[in-house]
Amino acid sequence: MLQWLKALSWGRYGWLLRRHVHLVLTLGVLLFWSLTGLAVAEILFLPVWVMATQLIVAGSLEAARLRRRAWLGQYLYERSPWHRWLRGGVVMVVRHQLLGVGLALVLLVELRLLPLVCWPVLLLGAVAMVVSRDLLRRRLSRHVIARHVDAVTRRLLMLPTAGLLMIALVMTVLWLPQPYLVGLRWEEALLEHLQGRENDSLLGFFVRVGSTAEITQVWVMQNAMQSLRVANSAALLGWVLLLLTQSAFAWAYVRLLVGADVLCREGRHNGGNVDRSGIRGSSS
Amino acid sequence: MSLCHVSSSMTAGRGLPCVWRHWALSLLMILGLMLVLGTGLRLLEQRTDDPLYRVIVNGQPLTLDAENHAALSRDIQAMTGDIEARLMARMTPWLEERLDQAFAPLTLAVPDYLDWYYSPGGSYMRLGVALVGDADAWLDEQLHQRLVRPSGIEAALAELQVDYPQRLAREQQGLATELTSTLHERYVSRQVAAEGESEQPVHEFDLDGVLQHALQDGLDTARWSTAAAGGSGAGLLAGRTLARRLGASAAVQGSRMALRSLVVRLGTGTARALATGGATAAATAPTGPGALVAGTLTTAVTLASIAGSEYALLKMQAAIHRPTMQTQLLEAIGEAREASLFFSLETAVSAAAVSQAEQLETQAARRGEGEPAPNAYRILGRLNE
Repeated sequence: MLQWLKALSWGRYGWLLRRHVHLVLTLGVLLFWSLTGLAVAEILFLPVWVMATQLIVAGSLEAARLRRRAWLGQYLYERSPWHRWLRGGVVMVVRHQLLGVGLALVLLVELRLLPLVCWPVLLLGAVAMVVSRDLLRRRLSRHVIARHVDAVTRRLLMLPTAGLLMIALVMTVLWLPQPYLVGLRWEEALLEHLQGRENDSLLGFFVRVGSTAEITQVWVMQNAMQSLRVANSAALLGWVLLLLTQSAFAWAYVRLLVGADVLCREGRHNGGNVDRSGIRGSSS
Repeated sequence: MSLCHVSSSMTAGRGLPCVWRHWALSLLMILGLMLVLGTGLRLLEQRTDDPLYRVIVNGQPLTLDAENHAALSRDIQAMTGDIEARLMARMTPWLEERLDQAFAPLTLAVPDYLDWYYSPGGSYMRLGVALVGDADAWLDEQLHQRLVRPSGIEAALAELQVDYPQRLAREQQGLATELTSTLHERYVSRQVAAEGESEQPVHEFDLDGVLQHALQDGLDTARWSTAAAGGSGAGLLAGRTLARRLGASAAVQGSRMALRSLVVRLGTGTARALATGGATAAATAPTGPGALVAGTLTTAVTLASIAGSEYALLKMQAAIHRPTMQTQLLEAIGEAREASLFFSLETAVSAAAVSQAEQLETQAARRGEGEPAPNAYRILGRLNE
């Protein structure tokens, strides 16, 4: 691995960058949107949401089709017309779109609330995903049908990458200093630390909801650590909330990156420039 | 595999490229969601009002809206920030004056003490005690008896210890009253005319009560520290503690060293004299109880002559050392005075003021006032402990 890194010349770095320009662009858009001021973020909210949704849906649709095709191939006759009916239609698309809209929303709101310290973890996750994808594909190409290598790679990649990222994020959240809420009532904690109170727009509302979840979780965990006024079920709720939000965030993030990969490959197959211009168009 | 064939079956017949159909679908969904949620949010906002806050300042309730309430808590924080410095500024002149009063007689008593110290009687007593036993303890005792007690400083300092917490309480009360009246003046015009007040949730915060509570706690701290001062010797220096402190100064130590060297020389002389005295007595009066008396008398005479020769030396020392000893004693008294001043200010006042400010802040934080507390909480750090 180290040898391989050393062997890379500058030209090869450039080539790598050009090969992953879609990922860099996606991450750049997300980073810009999460760090920019509230006014700009509000204006860009709709396009960024659409873009994130689209990327997430592309990844999850591909995985769902792959699964469905394997299932159909397992049980149906070759000549059956059910192949055409069941391979995934409007219902599947709408279901994944709805799921994608929700996941993208979680991702974006979490990004607004995320401290800057977490970004290295996210970027490291992206790099780890790219490296393990290349390694995995090289390994799989000898065994998997060439047409499906990319899709299978991405499908196998999702769970471990998202899981590792989730663990890293949970550790970061636990390690980072939190506002001190020990001994406060829940309403007082909210009253003091709620973010996004100053704007009435929809984004502000989402940020408030996300912030409420975060404060609740932090409040429950701190007071459970100090064993103050918190029942066991409430402490459990805190941990569940932490794991749920972080895993949803990590899942959405990795889905987004994988989806960017899917769209990029497809754009190349369909003649090159369609999807990348799409990403650029949505980010501007 | 392609994404297109599904959506093309869905929106067949239109001229859009297939990838864009997915984008359009996402856009539509998100727009719909935003519309629904936005409308819901507007409805929710119309139904809820801003919460009102009621703050009891200077004995009168003020009803404030959220904005003024935040301004009020900022003001409270700003005003309590330098409360320690203000309290010190108020206490210092008074304490200075009282300490001056207490220490003046002590300074005046120094020449008398030195008169005794270098008088023939005093010198002989010193010599005698140095010969017999522990000169240090005896000298401390003399300092206490002849310098500290006549000056009446013990009584003065004890009185000061009693007066101090009372004065502190008065000054704190004055500061608190000033604070509340300023706040009241500033905010009484910014009240909200609340209609239908009874049905609205009003957050109440009793500033007066918190202040009283903080004052009480601060006062307790002051009492504890002055009570501890008498025993530990770190407090208002009274009585024997003061004597010990005065005795530790350089001049006094120097004279003690001289005394000790004298005793060493005397010791050899005395031993010789006793031996000869005893020998003479044994030779002249071989029998009877008179022998012992004669021997002792001879010894006493010899001792007196030796001591007389040493006395001239002592006198010379006195002429040289008396001015230095006087200035150094006065300096030591000044130091003791400073020490008691700083001790009482540093510990008692600041403890009281700090506890007052802290109390206010924590109370304010507990009531949901003010900025986020500066403290942070680390779960992982806590687990490692």
